[in-house]
Amino acid sequence: MTPFTPHRVLLTGVSNPLGAEVARRLAPQVPMLFGCDVADPVSALEEMDFVHADTRLSVIGKLVRQLHIDTVVHLAVMVDPAHDDRSVHETDVIGTMNVLVGCAAPSSPVRRLIVKSGQAIYGAGPNDPSFFSEDMTNWDRIATGVTRDLLEMEQLVSEFALRNELCGVTVLRLGLRVSEDTSLARYLSLPIVPTFTGFDPRLQLLHEDDAADAVVRAVVGDHAGVFNVAGDGVVLLSQAIGIMGGTAAPVLPPYGRWVSRLALRMIAGVDMPAHLADIISFGSVMDCSRLESAFGWRPVYSSREAMDALALGKQAELIEAPSPPQEYELQVYLQQRRRRQHQLTASRN
Amino acid sequence: MIAESTREERRRNSRKAEIVAPRPGFRLPKPVRRLQRQAPMYALQAVSALSVRLRELAGRDVIDLDRIMEVVQFVYQQRELAHRGPNYAVDDFGFDPQFTESFLGVFKALYRDYWRVETTGVEHVPATGRALLVANHAGVLPWDGTMIKTAVFAEHSHPRHIRALVASQFMGMPVMSWFLRRTGQAVGHPDDTRRLLERDELVLVFPEGTRGTGKGFKDRYRLRRFGRGGFVSTAIRAQAPIIPISVVGSEEIYPMLGDLSPLARLFGLPYFPVTPFWPWLGPLGMIPLPSKWRIQFHPPVEVAHLPAKAAEDQHLVMALADDVRDTIQRGVYDNLKLRRGVFL
Repeated sequence: MTPFTPHRVLLTGVSNPLGAEVARRLAPQVPMLFGCDVADPVSALEEMDFVHADTRLSVIGKLVRQLHIDTVVHLAVMVDPAHDDRSVHETDVIGTMNVLVGCAAPSSPVRRLIVKSGQAIYGAGPNDPSFFSEDMTNWDRIATGVTRDLLEMEQLVSEFALRNELCGVTVLRLGLRVSEDTSLARYLSLPIVPTFTGFDPRLQLLHEDDAADAVVRAVVGDHAGVFNVAGDGVVLLSQAIGIMGGTAAPVLPPYGRWVSRLALRMIAGVDMPAHLADIISFGSVMDCSRLESAFGWRPVYSSREAMDALALGKQAELIEAPSPPQEYELQVYLQQRRRRQHQLTASRN
Repeated sequence: MIAESTREERRRNSRKAEIVAPRPGFRLPKPVRRLQRQAPMYALQAVSALSVRLRELAGRDVIDLDRIMEVVQFVYQQRELAHRGPNYAVDDFGFDPQFTESFLGVFKALYRDYWRVETTGVEHVPATGRALLVANHAGVLPWDGTMIKTAVFAEHSHPRHIRALVASQFMGMPVMSWFLRRTGQAVGHPDDTRRLLERDELVLVFPEGTRGTGKGFKDRYRLRRFGRGGFVSTAIRAQAPIIPISVVGSEEIYPMLGDLSPLARLFGLPYFPVTPFWPWLGPLGMIPLPSKWRIQFHPPVEVAHLPAKAAEDQHLVMALADDVRDTIQRGVYDNLKLRRGVFL
C-alpha cells in the first residue's frame, strides 16, 4: 500500500487564530484546502475555499461527501474557554460528534482525521503525578467544565478510531497557550495578579507557532494516536508573573476556590474558568516524549521562551496580505465592510 | 568597519551600564553608600581581630569564625535570592537548587548543634548514578527527611541533593505544596519515582508513610508495615540499588500522646497530634525537642541482577521489602544501644 498523502483537506474552525495560522501554513503543502467556520476568517487566503458551516449541524457530513474530503482537521474545539457555559459543550462534544458522523459513513472518503484537544483534559489536582503521559487521562475524575467536555469528546474520538480502522486518527493535546486571547494570558497580564495563598505551581506552555506547526506536521505526516504537545521545561507561576512585570497578590483563600472565582468576577471583572483555577493552584505538566519519538520533532519554544515571547508582545505574528489583491480577497473585504456598515447602522438605530 | 562611538555612547549601550544604572529616586550620599557597602567587611574584620584577642586571653576558641561565616553566607544567600527576580531556572519537577542551598545553612546548624547527628555509612551512597534510599519515618513533622538530606549534602564526599517522595496530601496544602516542590520533593507516585531514577537522582522514600509519622509515642522505634512493597518493584524496574537507612532520635522530637482525628479530618490532615506542648503552647509547641540523633546508611541491596520481569513477582518483591525492613529495624536497635541517652 502506498503511503497516504492528503489531497483534499477540510479545516474546521479556520476563523480562530490557530486555524488561520494552520491554513496559512498548510495551503502551499496540499493541493486543495477547504475551510469552514461560523465566523468570517480573520484574513483571507487565496488557496483556501471558505464555507460558512457550523460543525454543530449535519451539513458538515454533506460537505465531506460532496467535496470528497480525504483529510479532516478538526480545530473547532474550545480547549481554553473564557467561561464555563453550555456553548463549550455544544461546540466540543456535539460539534465533534457531528464531524465524526460526517466522516464515518460507509463509503466515506476520509482517510485521516486530526482532532485538537487540550491539556485541560487531564485536569489538575494534588493527587496527580508530576507528569501526565498520554495514557493517564482519568476517565473517572469528577470533572467540571471544559475537562469534562474534552473527556467526553476524546471518548467519542477513540470510539470512532476503533470502528473505522481505515481512517487514521491523530489527537493533539495542545498545552496551555499564551497568546493574547487565552484565559491564562489575560490572567497573567493583569497588573496585580491575584493568586491562591500558598500555591506556586509549575506551568507548562506552548507557543502559538509550535501549536500550528504540530497540527501541520500531523496532517502531512502519518502519526495515528494521541500526543501531548507542549514546550520543554516549566515556568513557576510566580516567575511567569515576574516576567510579565506584574505583582503577585496572594489574596485568594486556598480552599473553596469557586468562591474566589465568583468574587473575582463580581469585583474585578476577571473570568477564571474552573480548569484555570485548578491549574494555577496545582499545576499541570505533560510528558511529550511520545510526540518527540513519533514526529521526530519537538516544540521550538520552551515554556520559558513562550512566556518571554508573550512579555515581549511578539506572540502574535501578523499574517501579511498576499499581493496582488485577488478576487476572493476583494469579495471577503467587501463582505466584511458591508457587515461593518450594517453593524454601524444597527448600533445607531 | 566598526563605527567609532563616543565614550558616552559606549557607556549607554554597554550591558554593564544596564546593570549598574542606579534606580531613579532618592539616593543616600556617596560616603554613606560606600560605608553601607563596606560595613559587613569591617564588622567581620573586627570580629576576627576580637576572636584572635580572646583566644590569646582564654587559650581556646571563644568565637567560632566558621559559624559566623556560615551566618554571613546565609544572609548573603537570602539577599541574592531576594534580588534575583524571575531569572532562575527550575527543573521539570519544580526543584530550585539555589533556593534549597540557601536553607542548608540553617539545616546544617540544626544537624550539628541541635540534634548533634552522628552519621555512619554515608559512603554507601553512590557519588554518581541512581539509588533508592529507604528510611524509617517518625516524628510528627518530616524532620528525618530533612536531616537525611542534610547528612548527604554535608558529609558525603560528593554532596548531592536527595529527592524525597511525599504523600500527595501535602501537595494539596498551601505553602507545603510549593515549598516541598521547590526544595526537590516529588509526589509519591510510582511514575514520579521512575522518572527521578531514570534521571540518575537519589530518591528517598518512606514506605511507612503517614502511618510512621503518626504513630503514638508508646510505639516508638517499631516499624510499621512497608506499604505493599511498591518501592522494590520500582527499584527493580529502574535497576537502582536500594540503600536502607536507620534513623534514631526522630521519635522523641514530638512525643505524640494522642491523635484528634475529627480535627484532622476537618483540616484535611492525616492526623492531628497531641504532644505535651502542642497544641497547648500554640506555635511554641511546634519546636522539636533536642533529642540525640543517629543516622546509619546500610550497604546497598543490589537489584541489577534481577530481570525486569521480577518486578511483577509479588513473592520476590515482598521478600525483598521485608529484608529491607528487617535491616532498618535492626539498624534502629543497634543505634539505640549506641546512644547513651535520649537527650545526650
